[in-house]
Amino acid sequence: MKLKVDKTLVASVALHVLVIGWGLISFSARSLEAPPEALPIDIISSADLSKMTAGLKNGEKDKPKPLVEKVADAKPVDEAVGKITDKKEVVTSAAPEPPPKPVDKPVEKKPEPPKPEAKPKEEPKQAEKKPEPPKEDPIAEALKSDEAKKPKPKQEAKAAPPQPPKPKQERVFDQSKIANLLDKRDPTRQSITGAALNPTSSLGTATGNSDTRVATWKGAFVAAVRRCFSFPYNGQDADQFEVDIDINMKLDGTLASTPVVVAVRGPSRSVADAMGESAQRAVQQCQAYAFLPKDQYQTWKYIPMTFGLRDLM
Amino acid sequence: MSDLIKPIVPMSNVLTRRTFMVATGSALAAWGAAPALAQRIRIDPDAFQPLPIAIPNFVPGSPQDAQVGGDVAGVITNNLKRSGLFAPIDQAAFIERITNIDVAPQFQNWKTINAQALVTGRMTRQGDGRLKAEFRLWDVASGQQLTGQQYFTAPEYWRRIAHIISDQIYERLTGEKGYFDSRVVFVDETGPSERRVKRLALMDQDGANVRYLTKGADLVLTPRFSPSTQEITYMEFGQGDPKVYLYNIETGQREIVGNFPGMSFSPRFSPDGQRIIMSLQQGANSNLFVMDLRSKSTTRLTDTPAIDTSPSYAPDGSRICFESDRGGKPQIYVMPAAGGQAQRISFGDGTYSTPVWSPRGDYIAFTKQGGGQFAIGIMKTDGSGERILTSGFHNEGPTFSPNGRVLMFFRDPGGTSGPSLFTVDVSGRNEQRVPTPGFASDPAWSPLLS
Repeated sequence: MKLKVDKTLVASVALHVLVIGWGLISFSARSLEAPPEALPIDIISSADLSKMTAGLKNGEKDKPKPLVEKVADAKPVDEAVGKITDKKEVVTSAAPEPPPKPVDKPVEKKPEPPKPEAKPKEEPKQAEKKPEPPKEDPIAEALKSDEAKKPKPKQEAKAAPPQPPKPKQERVFDQSKIANLLDKRDPTRQSITGAALNPTSSLGTATGNSDTRVATWKGAFVAAVRRCFSFPYNGQDADQFEVDIDINMKLDGTLASTPVVVAVRGPSRSVADAMGESAQRAVQQCQAYAFLPKDQYQTWKYIPMTFGLRDLM
Repeated sequence: MSDLIKPIVPMSNVLTRRTFMVATGSALAAWGAAPALAQRIRIDPDAFQPLPIAIPNFVPGSPQDAQVGGDVAGVITNNLKRSGLFAPIDQAAFIERITNIDVAPQFQNWKTINAQALVTGRMTRQGDGRLKAEFRLWDVASGQQLTGQQYFTAPEYWRRIAHIISDQIYERLTGEKGYFDSRVVFVDETGPSERRVKRLALMDQDGANVRYLTKGADLVLTPRFSPSTQEITYMEFGQGDPKVYLYNIETGQREIVGNFPGMSFSPRFSPDGQRIIMSLQQGANSNLFVMDLRSKSTTRLTDTPAIDTSPSYAPDGSRICFESDRGGKPQIYVMPAAGGQAQRISFGDGTYSTPVWSPRGDYIAFTKQGGGQFAIGIMKTDGSGERILTSGFHNEGPTFSPNGRVLMFFRDPGGTSGPSLFTVDVSGRNEQRVPTPGFASDPAWSPLLS
């Protein structure tokens, strides 16, 4: 059995496979290279970072069991002389010392195989009892009594509903429920608070996209240049002046060339020209813009800018 | 985008395909770059900030010039600071000491203290006794010299040289003419309030070089500078009715303007300095007249059963603004300079008086009274855009700086105290008291001396 294979077909198939394979790999890889959309505006130095991450010598330490510490530490020390007998009773029942002992005991006893099931069962009980002592603490008791009260009604509620609701649902025609189903209005119409409506109010509305538009390199760049831009003009027509300036940047965030004034607009040409120079000064004065993301160099290699005096008055 | 193209080209062996892919790549590149090209990044200042400028003492040409070198730098610093547009940096913060203005400064030293502009200068006494003043204005960011001049003058005029240099700096950095080389005529007031002596006085715009033009025997009011000559017109209460006078600053000569029956008051020069417009009392009313100073001919401009007063020309001489109570209470009206239909332009609450047309032609300043307050404000020449610059008890008599960017006025708190002069920007910022030897009122700003 000899199969006649057309060499051109083989070459064609191989070539297509190669091309498609290369395309799948290369394009899929590129699609994953989503440029980071957001950048932090604040620039911190290594010194600032170490300051922020450093701990405080006089900082508060963790207090794992504040309630117990109050009962156990304060009272015995203050009243050690006069009320020894009374306190002993309290201490024995509620002191923090007992718990560690029972914990140690079960650990030691567990490895012992001979006393198999009976003791382990008792030990857990002891362990349960030993956590119980805190119940005598008034706060803990109050908490537990609250907890005890809560579950009971829930259990009753759980127990009760299954039996009666079934017949009721079948028999009763509830108009309000039908009306609710037909009501297509926005649920936010109901009387709820603003916080419930928009829990992330500080970040804009739930459907907003402001978080994707701020904190880009542009925001940081604008803030940096603005710090150096101060044009001395006090006319009430200030908002009519505008200057277009183009700048070319190096990868290290410095200017590749002198900023070019492309156009000036305003009621007075001499003032607009002076403003153009002022804008040039601002861009030069504030370099280098080292915070610009190097992986996005193509987006800020050339930056066209417009300087204005809006809202100056 | 070129990275995207490179891997694609070697894979293609068909000319048409390659062409297609290159074209596609180019299109993609153009599409990717388009938003960056189209979207200009907009930058507006958060708030007005004066421009930081460094003004070291001028280098002395010889040891005896050190004093004047420091004094000139001090006057320039004071001028620019008082303008509100500049923030001169304290000399104590300077890192570099300028010793030779013919060598470019180390700009990094001035960048470090955040100076955007640097002024260096030298004062040298010449062999003939004159004073030579040189200065250079530097752009710290680029290291470029923005301007440089030298002047010769008599040593006693060093202060004027400082004002001229201040104007050069102001104009180069703001694009507008300065106003520092100018003077102010005002009414100097001395003595107790019941026997106040009022004299005409002249001073530099910064309050220096005060000299008195009259002796105080007669009451003087409303002095006004000629825009083109070294002359002043003012009203004086002599033996009879108050009259309008013309006073030559250089010669000290004075003459009465016309000889009208009754009172003449509120005089002001025309922009060419050849005419004086004023009010003449006629019974219970007053009307506006203009007198040609050469021919002495007089022309009536208004004829109303009301009080028309305080006329002021537009800088092009085509129109005048004035105050009239023809509508019931004092308001501001505008009419053609030759007379004709007057149009009321003030419509706010209260009364408006003492209108003054800006030398730039863009605003009319006024005193507004209402609710026990006297406010100084400006409005556009059609009455729109009214803006109150300062308000309080008895602010009055605004006068524009030669460049129309600053207003001077007087404030009289009343009681045993007396009036003082103040300046404020047309933006309403930077209100400052002008130092005068005594009480002062009725200021009038001169045009630029040079």
